[in-house]
Amino acid sequence: MSSFAYQKPLRAITFICAAPQAQSVSLVGDFNNWNPAAHPMKQTPDRSWLLTVELKHGHHRYAFLVDGALTLDPRAQGITRNDKGERVSLVPVS
Amino acid sequence: MRKPSASRRAPQPKPKKANPAKAPRIHPVIIYPFKQSADYSDLQALYELVNRLDRDKKRYARPITVMDRKTHFSMTEDAAFHDFRQNTVAKCSDILDAWCVDTCQMWYSGLGAAFEKGSPDDVYWLIPGDFNYGSPVGQEVLGDIHDLPEIIMELDQDLCIGEIATDHSNPKHLIDTYGTFALLYNWFPAEAQEIRQFTEQPRSEFFAVRHSFLREALAQRWYAYEQTVVLLLQAILGGKRISRFFVGHISDLPEGRESLAAAMQQVERTERVLKSAWRERNHSRSGWIEQYRALENQSGQVRRAAITILQHLLG
Repeated sequence: MSSFAYQKPLRAITFICAAPQAQSVSLVGDFNNWNPAAHPMKQTPDRSWLLTVELKHGHHRYAFLVDGALTLDPRAQGITRNDKGERVSLVPVS
Repeated sequence: MRKPSASRRAPQPKPKKANPAKAPRIHPVIIYPFKQSADYSDLQALYELVNRLDRDKKRYARPITVMDRKTHFSMTEDAAFHDFRQNTVAKCSDILDAWCVDTCQMWYSGLGAAFEKGSPDDVYWLIPGDFNYGSPVGQEVLGDIHDLPEIIMELDQDLCIGEIATDHSNPKHLIDTYGTFALLYNWFPAEAQEIRQFTEQPRSEFFAVRHSFLREALAQRWYAYEQTVVLLLQAILGGKRISRFFVGHISDLPEGRESLAAAMQQVERTERVLKSAWRERNHSRSGWIEQYRALENQSGQVRRAAITILQHLLG
C-alpha cells in the first residue's frame, strides 16, 4: 500500500557484495542499462564491496559483476530474470 | 408548474464516450481460513489491508473472499463469526461461498471468479487468510505483500511467488524437502531444477499471476490440489517469466498446521497431480506407457521414503 500512497521520486539504496578476493566489482541493473562501467563498487576495509545508489520507486532488477561474472546478491529480497534470460536479483524501492 | 407527462421529453441516451483503454487492475483474492480461530485479531489485521485495497478502486478490483461452506456451517451458532463476516468481510469484499474439497479448490474458485471479471492486462493476487497477520511480523508482511502483483506489472512477469521464512523443522518445509521436490525430481527432473532455482517453497500460498497465464492455467488444470506446483510446472514448461519475492517472517496459524496424516495426504496428492501432468504431456509419444510405469515405480519408492521420514519428524 505504501508504495502507491507515497510516490517518492528517489531513494538511496546501499548494495553490499561480499567478494573479498575479487579485483573489481560493479553494480549492473535496469537502472543503468546493465552497463558495467556505470556503477563501480568500492572495496571497504573488511574487503566487501559497497555502493549507494539513488533509485526510483518501484522494483529493480540488478546483479553484481564480480571480475566480469554476473553474480546474484544472496541478500536480495527476490529473484527474476533479465532480458537475456539470466537469473538476477530484485530490489523493491518504496 | 409541472408539465403534463405527454409533453415530457423522453430521456435522451447519452452519447457514448470513446472507450479509453482500461488501466490494468489488481484482483485480490482472499482465502478465508478453513478453521475459524476464536481470536479474530489476525483476520482483523488482514481485513484492514483488504479494506484499504477496496478503497483504492483505480488500482484494485473489488476483492473477493472465498469462504468454504463447511466453515460457514460449522459456525452457524457463532454470533462473533456472523458479525465478522457481515460487518468486516462483506463490507470490503465480495464473499464467494463455495463447497471445496480443499484450500486449492478455494483458490480455483476464487481466481476463476476474479478472472471472469478481469481484463487482459490485469493481475490476480492470492492472499491466504490463515497466517498470523496480527503479530508485529505479520503487520510487516501485510505492508509488503503488495509487491507480488506490482512485480508482475512493473517487470512484465507472468508469475510471482512469495516466500516466507521457515525453519527446517516447519512441517511445510519438511513436506517440500522430502515430498514435493523428491517427487518433482522423479517426474520432471529438468523442470524441478529450474523451479528450485527460483523457490524452495513450490507450494507457497502467496503468489500473483498475470491474466494470460491464469487463463491457460485455469483451462489446463485437471486436479484442484497442489496448484502452486502445477502453476510452476506450467510456467517452466511454457517458458513463462517467473519471479520470487521474500514477503517476510510470517507463520501459519496453529489451526491450519499439518499433522502427520495431513502431511501424508499432501505428499500423496502431489504424486497424483504429477502423474497426471506427466501423462498429459507424454501420452502421445510412442512407448510412453513403459516409461510411465518405470517412473511410477520409482515414484512409489520416493513417496514411501518421504512418508517414512515425515513419520519420524512429525509423528
